[in-house]
Amino acid sequence: MHGIFYDHLHDEIVVPVALGGAVLTLPGGADGADPPLRVLQGPKTGIVQPDTLYVDLVHDEMVVESGDNAVLVFSRTANGDVAPLRRIGGPNTHINNIYGLTVDASRDLIIVANRVEMGGRESNDGILIFNRTDNGNVAPRAMISGPRTGIIKIRQIVADETRGQIFVTVKNNFEAYNVADNRPSPWDPDKTGFIGVWNITDNGDVPPRGVIKGPASGLVWPAGVAINPANHEVYAIDSVSNALFMFHTPEFFFREPGRTAGGAR
Amino acid sequence: MRRLVFSIAVLLLLSFADRDKVDPTATEGYCPTPAMSEATLLAIEAENGCLDMAAAAPDGWPPSWDTATIAGGDVPPSRVVSDPYPSLHSVVVDPDRNRVFFSDPNRHALWSYDRLAASKGREAVQPLTSIRGPATGMMFIAAVTIDAAAQEIYTVDNDIGDRMMVFPYDANGNVKPKRVLEVPHQAWGLSISHERNEVAVSVEAPREIVVYRKGAQGTEQPLRTIRGPKTGLGDPHGVFLDGTNQEIIVANHGNQGGRQPAPGDRPARQRGSRVAEEEPIVGGRFDEPSIAVFAADATGDVPPIRRIQGRKTGLNWPMAIDVDLARNEIAVANDGDSSIRIFRRTDSGDVAPLRVLKGPLTGITGPMGVAFDRKNGELWVANYGDHTALVFSNTASGNVAPKRIIRNAPAGSPTVGFGNPGAVAYDSKRDEILVPN
Repeated sequence: MHGIFYDHLHDEIVVPVALGGAVLTLPGGADGADPPLRVLQGPKTGIVQPDTLYVDLVHDEMVVESGDNAVLVFSRTANGDVAPLRRIGGPNTHINNIYGLTVDASRDLIIVANRVEMGGRESNDGILIFNRTDNGNVAPRAMISGPRTGIIKIRQIVADETRGQIFVTVKNNFEAYNVADNRPSPWDPDKTGFIGVWNITDNGDVPPRGVIKGPASGLVWPAGVAINPANHEVYAIDSVSNALFMFHTPEFFFREPGRTAGGAR
Repeated sequence: MRRLVFSIAVLLLLSFADRDKVDPTATEGYCPTPAMSEATLLAIEAENGCLDMAAAAPDGWPPSWDTATIAGGDVPPSRVVSDPYPSLHSVVVDPDRNRVFFSDPNRHALWSYDRLAASKGREAVQPLTSIRGPATGMMFIAAVTIDAAAQEIYTVDNDIGDRMMVFPYDANGNVKPKRVLEVPHQAWGLSISHERNEVAVSVEAPREIVVYRKGAQGTEQPLRTIRGPKTGLGDPHGVFLDGTNQEIIVANHGNQGGRQPAPGDRPARQRGSRVAEEEPIVGGRFDEPSIAVFAADATGDVPPIRRIQGRKTGLNWPMAIDVDLARNEIAVANDGDSSIRIFRRTDSGDVAPLRVLKGPLTGITGPMGVAFDRKNGELWVANYGDHTALVFSNTASGNVAPKRIIRNAPAGSPTVGFGNPGAVAYDSKRDEILVPN
């Protein structure tokens, strides 16, 4: 499983099951082998190998990555083999390989962490922003992508609607390994990952407004991110060090993004 | 219904002080992870000459960041949840040399111990060797097996890496593998047949078994692939290539992805690709877990010749398997109910196991690996849910205590269980952090 959502309104946990082509909804306090409350699965769903999802509690919808280069939108309580309400996919969308999904319900936006590997360290990874009700082969309203963003190998994404920010995990590395090298390594030590923060209104090849990056952070390959604005905390899970990091970063929650100086290297 | 495991992290906050219990003198050749405290990390790095995995980006990259106004920066974490000890995944025994080998996806390592090593009390046992560090190429590794005649250790990367790596028995520290073979994404199980001079690899998402020439390296292609809807392969894990009876035995979780698998006579899926576009969407499905048996020469989309499957089997997340060819028995590490299930090799259909090892006396907790030692009449179990490996008589049954225990951490050390985690969520109701594996 490469995705998870906690629904605080209904006290439910929602997870994609990539290997089973399914979305499971469990009780919030599920433990051990507790069965799911709902299973979304079957040919009508269009769900192939879902890696990530998000639940829009304002509009009572579930947004699911299909595993087939598309965003599928279902009723939050969809169960069994049911067709999606909407599907965003096709060449105009620029959607290629989705690793993260979130919704800014107050601004009516669906935000996609999109992976476009070109070989080696070349990529067109980025953040695609769509209107929430978009359907079909439609162009995104904004794309945050390019070398100045530093986005290479993007992963989970989450929106802070209150402050209009997007938090993104960027692995910034590839599984490059050549045994013939003098000092081969699966990871490029000069290219460690980071948490990047952009404004929801950003567009184009723009640097992040905030980052957590560097040796003291401990981040190598951050794959997942969650925020706890009440405690001014950012949580990151790292898939190389198999560690969960909690960062206390009031500057991301108190101050207007982009107004604080920092050594972001 | 599939069991889901969540690592509820709030109960497992390990302090920096706890993490400093790692003994740097026992980490020869090891490059530490940033989850260790700075002092421990620096001590181990200095001793082992590791690459600085957390170095800052060089000047000029990413472009314009040095002139941008960016909040945050190199922020140290206020808390870290991490397991400083190895997680035991798979196990294999060489009874002639009295060595036992384990794979460790937590610290990206292979460990070997003396076969007769045992914890006398609550203390950890010192390993004979540890292969770990960036030069090894090991990332999120799964199975381990050996070629005892050649004195080689095999392991395979699972969800990242996509490599099979082969090391000599005497390898120790941060060393390059002897051979590297590119394998399909999400490889899990490994089995060598000396009679056939072949290596079989199970691969989860494409639901396939790929068979290579023993000694294959680089980008050498498999000799054959078993894959397709007739095979019934569903999220395969443990595999045993039986050169005596000319069969391939496969443990299946039963997960079927939403797109029909491509027939296995097509070229193997290329690294980095996902589901083959040309196959129809048929919808995901959760089949019952099974042990499927194919002819050793099977290729393409062929049905199994036997299948153990059904409620009587008790199969639930079957992980590694091993076969005792003298007793004609299959051992299954049944992670879902923390048991070891022994079936007849020729069983078929909905059959109860011959024996089940399960219960609090056994100490079996989330077993991932299992291996027979025929020479010494023993059965080894690698606990992923605890920092222990257990040794039983190969005829043990029921709720019995193990003959020996190898601990790789002091007794009672929590097992976090992270394995290549890819997402995180915050449960504001319970003030808990949820991490799916």
